[in-house]
Amino acid sequence: MKRFLPFIIIIVVLGAALGAGWYLKRKADVSATPSSPASLNNPVNSTSSVRTSSEPGAEPPHMHGSPDAPVKLEEFGDFECPPCALLHPILQTMEKQFSGRISITFREFPLVPNHQHALAAAQAAESAGLQGKFWEMHDLLYENQKTWHEAFDVRPIFEDYAKRIGLDVERYKRDLQSDIVAQRIFLDGKRGHALDVKGTPTLFLNGREVPFESLPADKLRVLINAELSGTHP
Amino acid sequence: MSQDPTVDSQSTEESRSRARRPRVLLHAVTAFLALVGLADATYLTIEHLTGQSVRCTLIAGCSEVLSSPYATMRGIPLALVGAAAYFTVFSLATLAAFGYRGAGPLLTAVVAIMFAVTLWLVYLQAFVIRAFCQYCLFSAAITILLTVITLIGWRRERRKL
Repeated sequence: MKRFLPFIIIIVVLGAALGAGWYLKRKADVSATPSSPASLNNPVNSTSSVRTSSEPGAEPPHMHGSPDAPVKLEEFGDFECPPCALLHPILQTMEKQFSGRISITFREFPLVPNHQHALAAAQAAESAGLQGKFWEMHDLLYENQKTWHEAFDVRPIFEDYAKRIGLDVERYKRDLQSDIVAQRIFLDGKRGHALDVKGTPTLFLNGREVPFESLPADKLRVLINAELSGTHP
Repeated sequence: MSQDPTVDSQSTEESRSRARRPRVLLHAVTAFLALVGLADATYLTIEHLTGQSVRCTLIAGCSEVLSSPYATMRGIPLALVGAAAYFTVFSLATLAAFGYRGAGPLLTAVVAIMFAVTLWLVYLQAFVIRAFCQYCLFSAAITILLTVITLIGWRRERRKL
């Protein structure tokens, strides 16, 4: 018996590790997909109901598309977060494909201090927004994330972007430190916290949180189509 | 000057078992640490596969680390390789504790490789990815402890020789 004991222990541990892995994977899968038949018509995670908040966020919000669009997407994003940069081209595709039927709102949710340049990037975008060029700066920040993320000092890089999109650079530099920019970022963050946003990117589709697993383009397209065809209650 | 062979063999048997006891203890601690590492690496593997921690959060830098190209090796999650390594260490330590002779040197070799890989991974987090994932750091701490214990065992062996 003693001869076999170590092998028995080893096999038990292997079984336990595989079992724990299988259990964790299953738990993650279940939480990502609707399980009850009633929720089959409800592609957005059935547990996430419409979340409303008394916190409106920064006014007016940065919104692409018509405010009356039947599908409203609201992204809480951090320009320095890699998966946010991955979501950026997906949302652009959705906008092209569902032009006129969806609106996209961006909310600042810089994860400070985990991301050292996130706040500076949010300030740059908001400062550009004061000259009506928020989305131009937003696109440049996401598309060049890998470049500036590594930099020690991001200010000259962002100034260069400001020049590129045709901003009044002196005004841009002044606005970076302005109260109105700080206030907008603060109000968006306040709205995020009120909506229980824990990380980025967090996307809301008509007020319901889209599960992270549904953010790839093909899955997001299914959700938007379902919302447009009214299969959603 | 005649010696009683039974007394002699008894005393060597006793001293042998006395010498074995700390070694068994070292192997048991190694096996326990490997279990903790295995649990950590299993959790990380599932996180990686299901994309749970790929979202950026306020506390962890795991999203940067797990979504970086260094998190996989030819499509295989590095965390899975880590889990396999910890399982190997656990198996070898258990065998060694039960007196299997070949297991000890093999264990030393595996821990040495893991230590080298750990140094490389911590370097990547600090200077290349520039983000730390606490689960990866925990694994690094376990491997360093394993290395220390292996070194203690190795020194004991050498002193005996």
